[in-house]
Amino acid sequence: MIYMINRANASAAESAKGGAGSTTAATGLEGMGQGMRASVTGVVFDIRELTIHDGPGLRTTVFLKGCPLSCAWCHNPEGRSREPQVLRGPNGDRVAGRSYQADELATLLNRQAPLLIDGGVSFSGGEPLMQAAFLEAVLERLEGLHVVLGTSGFAPAESFLRVVRRCDLVLFDLKLMDPEAHRRWTGVDNRVILDNLQRLADLGLPYLIRVPLAPGVTDTEANLRFIALHVRELPGRPRVELLPYNRAAGGKYAACGLEWRPDYDETVPCRTDLAPFHELQVDARVL
Amino acid sequence: MSTILEERQAALPELSPRLAEMKRRIRAGEHHRYRSTDMVDVLAECEREGLDWTRRAARLTRRMCEAQAVVIEPDERVLFTRTVKRIPPLYRPEQMDELRAGRTFHELGPISNICADWGMVLSQGLLARRAAAEAARARLAGDREAETFLDAAVETIDAVLELARRYASAAHALGRDDLADVLRLSPAHPPASFHEALQALRLCHAVLWLSGHYHCGLGRLDQYLWPYLEADLAEGRLVPAEAQELLEEFFISLNKDSDLYPGIQQGDNGQSLMLGGMRRDGSDGVNPLTAMVLEAGRKVALIDPKINVRVTRDTDLGLLAKGVELTRIGLGFPQWCNDEVIIPGLVAAGYDPEDAQDYTVAACWEFIIPGKGMEVVNIGAASMPAASDRAIRAGLEAGESFDRILRRAGADLAEQVSDIAEASRKLLLPPAPWYSVLMDGCLERGRDLCHGLKYNNFGIHGAGSANAADALAAVRTLVYDERRVDPTRLIRALDADFQGEEALRTELREGAPKVGNHDDGADGLLVDLFDRFADACDAAGDNGRGGRYRPGTGSAMYYVWLARGHEGMREPTVGATADGRRNGAFFSSSLAPSPEVQVRGPLSVLQSFGKLDYQRICNGGPLTMELADSLFRGKEAVEKVALFIRAFVRSGCQQMQLNTLNVDTLRDAQRHPELHRNLVVRVWGWSGYFCELDESYQNQIIGRHIYGV
Repeated sequence: MIYMINRANASAAESAKGGAGSTTAATGLEGMGQGMRASVTGVVFDIRELTIHDGPGLRTTVFLKGCPLSCAWCHNPEGRSREPQVLRGPNGDRVAGRSYQADELATLLNRQAPLLIDGGVSFSGGEPLMQAAFLEAVLERLEGLHVVLGTSGFAPAESFLRVVRRCDLVLFDLKLMDPEAHRRWTGVDNRVILDNLQRLADLGLPYLIRVPLAPGVTDTEANLRFIALHVRELPGRPRVELLPYNRAAGGKYAACGLEWRPDYDETVPCRTDLAPFHELQVDARVL
Repeated sequence: MSTILEERQAALPELSPRLAEMKRRIRAGEHHRYRSTDMVDVLAECEREGLDWTRRAARLTRRMCEAQAVVIEPDERVLFTRTVKRIPPLYRPEQMDELRAGRTFHELGPISNICADWGMVLSQGLLARRAAAEAARARLAGDREAETFLDAAVETIDAVLELARRYASAAHALGRDDLADVLRLSPAHPPASFHEALQALRLCHAVLWLSGHYHCGLGRLDQYLWPYLEADLAEGRLVPAEAQELLEEFFISLNKDSDLYPGIQQGDNGQSLMLGGMRRDGSDGVNPLTAMVLEAGRKVALIDPKINVRVTRDTDLGLLAKGVELTRIGLGFPQWCNDEVIIPGLVAAGYDPEDAQDYTVAACWEFIIPGKGMEVVNIGAASMPAASDRAIRAGLEAGESFDRILRRAGADLAEQVSDIAEASRKLLLPPAPWYSVLMDGCLERGRDLCHGLKYNNFGIHGAGSANAADALAAVRTLVYDERRVDPTRLIRALDADFQGEEALRTELREGAPKVGNHDDGADGLLVDLFDRFADACDAAGDNGRGGRYRPGTGSAMYYVWLARGHEGMREPTVGATADGRRNGAFFSSSLAPSPEVQVRGPLSVLQSFGKLDYQRICNGGPLTMELADSLFRGKEAVEKVALFIRAFVRSGCQQMQLNTLNVDTLRDAQRHPELHRNLVVRVWGWSGYFCELDESYQNQIIGRHIYGV
């Protein structure tokens, strides 16, 4: 019942493999992490307090804007574009996306620290690593806050490592193990992701695997089994958390000027099958 | 998502079939058939015998008890069903006018909104109370007032004992000797079992209502009932499941007569109880009954009793989670009280430490000491929006500094408080012999409750505070600091209710800091207003009853009345305000961000309201928040809300009401009330059935801030 927040000692966890694998050619990462290095300004599309699924305890989650993936089931379409945009809702317009200086965002979060003793702050998106330099600058400025990063893992190795070393817990998404299917449903290759996962595992930081379930896409027995097989071999053998499909996924598309047209049948109940994991002695649960 | 929710619901125990049926009958009003519409005539005999007010009040209690028919349903174990609907008058109208000449009643007149010392009454039994009265009468022989009062008190005790006796005989005649035995022993003697304690409490409490009192609190139920349950469990007379069911039946019985209780609307009846917290000696008072009460509240899921929980940062998370399970069903309680803030605040206000550690709430949220407080905790309200609005207008017209406007607001509050204080010194409290039996020292001193107890303070609400601070923040930012708004134009726009000034209204709403975002630009003004309000209450001095004026942060109905007016209300109303609020729009209820303000989230709200100096404002008044029902799905989410309650303690806030709302459900209930008869919502200090509220209140609830959607 009582949450134990153990701040990881990031420096001790650093391993010799830290800088490995910086080839980014033909991975879709071109441009990511470039040009932003000097910048300490970032774009945030939401800050939510008392979030439920973004890590242990009482948390405030910062949603960073911009994502290199285009997952078919994405329920935060306003998180895709890096730029602020106007959302046109039934109750009027609202701008999603606000620029923050790293100092400003860190101050805002540090001021909440007295109430976040039983938790901390989480960074989600979008893909927070799209703004790795900004995120790193914010993390540098946080004072005594437990930090969780929720990431797709799709980022240049160097910026990935620089950020995760400053985190206390990483929630790492694994969507599809089959490279072809991954390209089809998310728009990017999963090679980079799996390489970063290996780097994360080798670092020895606390981390969990998150699997967003979309019916007939990621919730298939074959996919879950492949994920289980992969996780079983990872150092530390992390826990897997299945995120059930949310039928509200399409709710914000119209406001973003997008059409919600999933090419899978979202009326089919998604399978929340833990058996493939338990059979391989992989700790797993449904959120 | 829904499967997880269903699993959770299946995992939590529900009412037994016996109690589910009992609850159904009560909600359907089947027991109303026992009610008589006849009015008991007390006035004629009072006139004939030339009785004074004290004896009339006792005669009322006696005749009401006598007129009660005995109702024992075959499946009942905790008895009492009210069958006499109406409370008869004790004086003719013209006599009453004479008695009241130059004086004022509080609300309806009879003493209300306090809390008896139920622990004392149960542990002594009514025969011991009677003996105390007899002893005092002998000691005080010759003191006419004492003799009259003590005779009256004995008359009420005998009436209650006779009512219990009639119930016992009827139970025996029905072959229910188990119940007959319970009623023969208590409330005459100290209860020998948990069952007897509940039965005695039910009867003595119901007689308060029969005597014309209302908002009758139940106090620290887990503290005073636990010794009886503990003994039963230790002796093997009862297993926990049986005790749980008895407690649930007692709770259901408290809902039988709610529709007969006076209140703003049904549900506003002040049957509040307190759980947890320190004992009088400062040790931790949480016991197994604490969690049982939370469980019973969740299972019974009716508007009574209203449950409050005292917490510290060390309160067990499991207990907090139990409370969250109760919040989750949407009744709007428990209400959380922060011992770390409240107890020092009461001590600072002059309460003895052991009394402060024994606090409970009166009807809604106002802190009171059981058996020791004859406090009128809601004597009036200071309108913070009126104070800020008049200060802004006068200050801008005179071309004064912003600081001068703040001083004007303080002076305005002082004037409002002074008016309330002056009127309140004419307060007339009618004698209350039966209530006096249940209080500390009335029988022993030979003095009726209406003459006062150890604590005799009056409470004043500081209502509409967030709107008032936001209005000041808008003026400081836009008129003084940024010079973007011309003062003359602002005043004209306020007079015109922003007709043709929509852009200005938008600027006022969006271009300045607002309370609730942990932004000192607005929060600092909220703190300033309450400091000045506390100064005003200090300056008001004695209340004529040996007490002082306690400032509070509640609003009760004033969040509506101060905007729209109310018959007979002394407090000023105010039109459009400089925070961009239109004329007639409701203010925020108790402590909450202004209704139209967007805030970052519940942690920022805690931090904003945690800045207030609650050591100076100890009348109570909850920070009120609505959480989306999605925040209650799954064990992990419930634990997070439990941690949020701990964060509330850390934030330094005083009191908090959490409610869970699903706006879609509420809208559907407006369209199809017949499908949502049991939908309960928190209104302010009380919970009511949504479909029974006036539409404007329904809309106010739908418009409240909901966090975590």
